[in-house]
Amino acid sequence: MSDGRPVVVAVRDLHKSFGANRVLTGVTLEVRRGETIVVLGGSGSGKSVLLKHINGLLRPDSGTVEVLGCRVSEMPELDLVALRRRVSYIFQNAALFDSLSVGENVAFPLREHLALPDDEIEARVATLLGRVGLTGTEDLAPAELSGGMRKRVALARGLALDPEVILYDEPTAGLDPLTGLAITALLREVTRGTGATSLVVTHDLAVAEGLADRVAFLTGGRFAFTGPLALAAEQEGAVGEFVRAGGVHAREGSRT
Amino acid sequence: MSLFGRLYDLTWRRVTHLGGVALLARSVAARLVTPPLDMREAVRQMEAMGVRSTNLAAVIALFTGMVLALQTAYALEVFGAKLYIGEVVGISLVRELGPVLTALMVGGRVGAGITAELGSMAVSEQVDAMRSLGADPIRKLVVPRVWALLAVLPLLVVLADVTGVFGGLVISTWELGLSPAFYTSHVLRLMKYGDVFSGLAKSLFFAIAIALIASYNGLSARGGADGVGRATTDTVVAVAISVLVLDFFLTKLFLAL
Repeated sequence: MSDGRPVVVAVRDLHKSFGANRVLTGVTLEVRRGETIVVLGGSGSGKSVLLKHINGLLRPDSGTVEVLGCRVSEMPELDLVALRRRVSYIFQNAALFDSLSVGENVAFPLREHLALPDDEIEARVATLLGRVGLTGTEDLAPAELSGGMRKRVALARGLALDPEVILYDEPTAGLDPLTGLAITALLREVTRGTGATSLVVTHDLAVAEGLADRVAFLTGGRFAFTGPLALAAEQEGAVGEFVRAGGVHAREGSRT
Repeated sequence: MSLFGRLYDLTWRRVTHLGGVALLARSVAARLVTPPLDMREAVRQMEAMGVRSTNLAAVIALFTGMVLALQTAYALEVFGAKLYIGEVVGISLVRELGPVLTALMVGGRVGAGITAELGSMAVSEQVDAMRSLGADPIRKLVVPRVWALLAVLPLLVVLADVTGVFGGLVISTWELGLSPAFYTSHVLRLMKYGDVFSGLAKSLFFAIAIALIASYNGLSARGGADGVGRATTDTVVAVAISVLVLDFFLTKLFLAL
């Protein structure tokens, strides 16, 4: 994938600790425009921490993060607002606002950033919900939704401003396998439909198989492997073990 | 951990907490008077904090006024000065008991509510989601709560003052045999506008302290439901202590003016 397309996300020598817990110890990664990269790793390996650095939700101890030409790691919070319109973050637990309805959740970024009349916002919300298969759910409360529906609403909210980069944090975590597959298919449709650059953090190899142009394997605070999923299965050590344990085998790169 | 270690840890946590509240105060001050203000959220909070606290404020003030009248009458009777009960009850309520008791009780209720709500949002990543959507959580969540409490706490204090004085009237009339007109004229005889305004001014300081402490504890809550529970308890304790400490310094200040 190292073609002529510009690099839109560049992480260089990123270090982050929480107290004595050293989570990231020199992460380096480049993602090119339109590429979908899946970050794999075990629980607690720092995948979500990495993703939060890319959106400026966390600040690094050292190292740099550049997104769409902006040095995120050094930008003041107020300057990040403009960038966050272009970089969407889909949270693991959807993180829908409990006090707002489904429609108001999806409308939130539209109201925050665009001066649109109410009927225009309602029309856009209906279109976005239709896109994720939830037509007519505007008036439901987040508490009334299933796990899969919550993820879909979060996706609709994340797509509201037509982002250039989408960060997905464990998009299938906590879902049954069938719903997980449906969400993966929806993400594939979205990534192909929008042409957005995507970073997907997951430990679910079905997501990697369904979406990844490349996978990056995070272990011990840094990337131990970056490349095609099939090649990951041929690796020795933690990378190969993780991937083969998920049923992905070398060469054919498909699961049994 | 050694005793010294625990003391150091406790002191450090308190200093960090105070510093955090001070930094939040600075951020809020910068946004309090600059647009946009989320009016819809501010009105929602006024309803939640004000309208739903009226019964609590009124009941507490009513019984405080009645007890104050009984105790004052008992004390003044020794000097044969029972007739001055109106002055004592009126001044005590509007200068001190109305604002302080209302801030303690309503502050505990409202402060716990703010911390629980913002804490739940923080631990379920809703605050991070707000930031990631390009919105400012301080402007969206904290500023409307500060404005709402600034608007409703003085009104609740007025309600408490009036109800408390009425409680004194009930006891003066039924227990002590004074006429309502006599009691009321004595309540108003010594009371100056300054007494009422000093009570209301105190409530503005209390409102800011309650909203900031509760919001800070909520936004900094970590560790799921357990963390939210701990933060909420901390808020109730911190609000009570802050109101009483602030009251002392404000009383000194207003008496010196």
